[in-house]
Amino acid sequence: MSLNYVVIRLAQIVPTFFLIMVVIFVLVRLLPGDPTSAILGIHASNEAVARINAELGLDRSIPVQFGLFFEHFLRGDFGDSINLKVPVMSLVLERLPVTLFLTVFAALLAVVLAVPMALLAAVRRDTLVDNGIRAGFQVGLSMPVFYIGIVLLTFLAAKLRWFPVGGFGHSFGEDIYHLFLPALTLALSLSAVLMRNLRSSIIDVLDAEYVDFARAKGLRNRLVLGRHVLRNALTSTVALFGLNIGTLFGGAVITESVFAIPGIGRLLIDSIYGRDYPVIQGLTLVLAVLVSLVFLATDLVQAWIDPRVSHR
Amino acid sequence: MTRWLRVLLAFGLLVGLAGTAEAVTRGGTLTYARYADSLLLDPVFNDANVDIWILTNLYDTLLQPTADGKDVQPGLATGYSVSDDGMTFTLKLRQGTKFSDGSPITADDVKWSLDRARNPENHIWGFTLEGIDSVEVGGSDTIILHLKHPDPTLASALATFNSAIMPQKLYEATPGATEEEKAKAFAEHPIGSGPFMFDSWQRGTEMVIKRNPYYWQMGEDGKPLPYLDEVRFVVIPDDATRILKLQAGEVDGAEFIPYTRVAELKNDPNLDMILFPSTRVQYLTVNVRPTLKDGKPNVLADPKVRQALNYAIDKKAVIKVVTHDVGKPMVSFMSSATPMAVNNGPVYPYDLEKAKALLKEAGVAEGTEVSCMGLAGNADETAILSTVQAMWAQVGVKLNVEYLDNATRTARYRAADFQMRVAAWTDDIADPSEITSYFAYFPNIESLHGGWEDKKVDALFEASQKEVDKTKRAEMYKEIQQTYIESAPIMFLYESPYPVALRKQVKGLNKIPLGNNIFSGAYVEK
Repeated sequence: MSLNYVVIRLAQIVPTFFLIMVVIFVLVRLLPGDPTSAILGIHASNEAVARINAELGLDRSIPVQFGLFFEHFLRGDFGDSINLKVPVMSLVLERLPVTLFLTVFAALLAVVLAVPMALLAAVRRDTLVDNGIRAGFQVGLSMPVFYIGIVLLTFLAAKLRWFPVGGFGHSFGEDIYHLFLPALTLALSLSAVLMRNLRSSIIDVLDAEYVDFARAKGLRNRLVLGRHVLRNALTSTVALFGLNIGTLFGGAVITESVFAIPGIGRLLIDSIYGRDYPVIQGLTLVLAVLVSLVFLATDLVQAWIDPRVSHR
Repeated sequence: MTRWLRVLLAFGLLVGLAGTAEAVTRGGTLTYARYADSLLLDPVFNDANVDIWILTNLYDTLLQPTADGKDVQPGLATGYSVSDDGMTFTLKLRQGTKFSDGSPITADDVKWSLDRARNPENHIWGFTLEGIDSVEVGGSDTIILHLKHPDPTLASALATFNSAIMPQKLYEATPGATEEEKAKAFAEHPIGSGPFMFDSWQRGTEMVIKRNPYYWQMGEDGKPLPYLDEVRFVVIPDDATRILKLQAGEVDGAEFIPYTRVAELKNDPNLDMILFPSTRVQYLTVNVRPTLKDGKPNVLADPKVRQALNYAIDKKAVIKVVTHDVGKPMVSFMSSATPMAVNNGPVYPYDLEKAKALLKEAGVAEGTEVSCMGLAGNADETAILSTVQAMWAQVGVKLNVEYLDNATRTARYRAADFQMRVAAWTDDIADPSEITSYFAYFPNIESLHGGWEDKKVDALFEASQKEVDKTKRAEMYKEIQQTYIESAPIMFLYESPYPVALRKQVKGLNKIPLGNNIFSGAYVEK
């Protein structure tokens, strides 16, 4: 792995980014309906619709609109939200930290849940403990995110009052407290995926000869599991984890709605319903960059764990 | 001068009613969970109910809607008079009133605000003040409106959000190249003269409005309104979460409770489940043109078929299924809470035999298909359409349902590319003219884009817009409504109230039939 590799990978993001920009720009405009319906409601007169369309420049051809958009983009201007009437960048910057906080928190929780449980299940393979753990995670995997969210909210927040019902805090401590349930909701399905994958990798590794050798050497069980088994088993799980971060962003869209968290997920839903073109474009581009960066990070972490994975 | 008398009477009644109430509590915060955040806090350039329904807490108007939303009462003006020829409308301004920054409200502010509101280039609401020819300052306490024609809707229009009074100097000092840019900038930190003043806003999350210390109106305890120190609006789009938050005591009130939960919340001993009377009507818009956009002949062009299908809908059953019995059948195309609505009981009472006979008369074959657009993922519309589908099947008409997202559906609606669609309407102004211009008056939007046209109705509507004699105007409206009901260019369904749930300690909050949330009289008992 070299610095060169990182630079090349970063450079590869640029054409991907441009392609996504063009595709999204055209796609949102091909959708039936336009932002004026969200702005003016369904009863507006045709003149009012035409006037607003002209004000927004939507009466021009798509290539012309794209040219203008791109020119503004190069100056760092994503335009203004049509519905919220504020610059897209300020919206994104205001909301992105919330979503990042939520997804990172969820990812951490997923790992904290998955790794020890996978180890335990693999070591106690085919016992009651193993089956119990697998069945438990299966439930997490098979329930829809919004349902898990509502169930957690109803019991842990509304009934037991252990947690607040949704919302977001005003300090780091408050944020942790407010976002614990939504992060757990998001983490459950991811942790199930990770747990199942890691468990079977660990089982494969446990059967390897070098593990027998390590044991024969007289190493303590904990050392064998930690140094030899887990490290070797993690490679595929890390890749899976990286791929699932994109899904986590998708899950955040729903979780943010259920828990009333003002992140970009909810903003994205609202902007699609309202055909708020500049916001859809801005958010998609930001998400594309984020996911690309996560993929890059995944590759780097994989190489760090397993030196056999080389990057040229 | 009867109008002066009426305004005074209404005010006296209000004060009288207030006097009998129990002692109020002053101070504190009321946290109110909304389903969506506001977008633009400008009286003129706003577009949506999320703005309209809270704007009057921040911006006062010359006149105000009464608590039942049917009439007006004094606001920044103590009253008004209309000249005998109906061409001059004179308002007396309340003296000593101030904006929330402490600067005085002058007659010039009033003239400027009304001129801004009626400018047709300033967004879409100018039509409400279309009757004004010019605004004249007649001294520090008098505003004279010279009219283009006698205008029976003007008093209501002056009590509507878009004619709110704004501080001219502060607004003009706001940066912005165009009027719209200025409006956006000013609305980021608006200053008005309503009972509350803007404090802070985190978009999509929370907005705080604080007590305006300069507000003129007195409370029941003889001190100025409002009672509350502040109102905190929190945005919680998910219905279930909004209710959970209320039940957990984290908010004091929650709006838009789904009908399915109303009965349950009524039984909650900690909550008041209130169904505020509204002007909301739910119906199916019908395209009555002889051919549809795809070139196929339209069976719904025949009034007999529309009447038959109206008779074939069991409104009570729809109301039970969709609203869990909180709605009531429509009595006209406008809600029974709209001034001048005719009310001879529910229209098109359920009658299968009559429906079948009319269909036979119209020569409609068994198995004829009609279609209706519904909003994808909307529980109410899904319930309406599946119920109506089953009912029309009984008279041999097959209803095909197309579920679309809102923007797509609106685009097709505007292009008249539909046969029917589920729709709802809420009045913005306490007058029948707005709804009538959209539903029945063809030149506006071709009668809900359905293409229904009746020259006599159009002429009556135009005449009614200049008729200041209330009785004569009501007669005109009676005829318009009778013609409309008879021809049935919509499928009449039901009226439904606004369901709001409050903690038992919350008192005095009002939501008028137009939807405006009035927080000035609200308080939280300790």
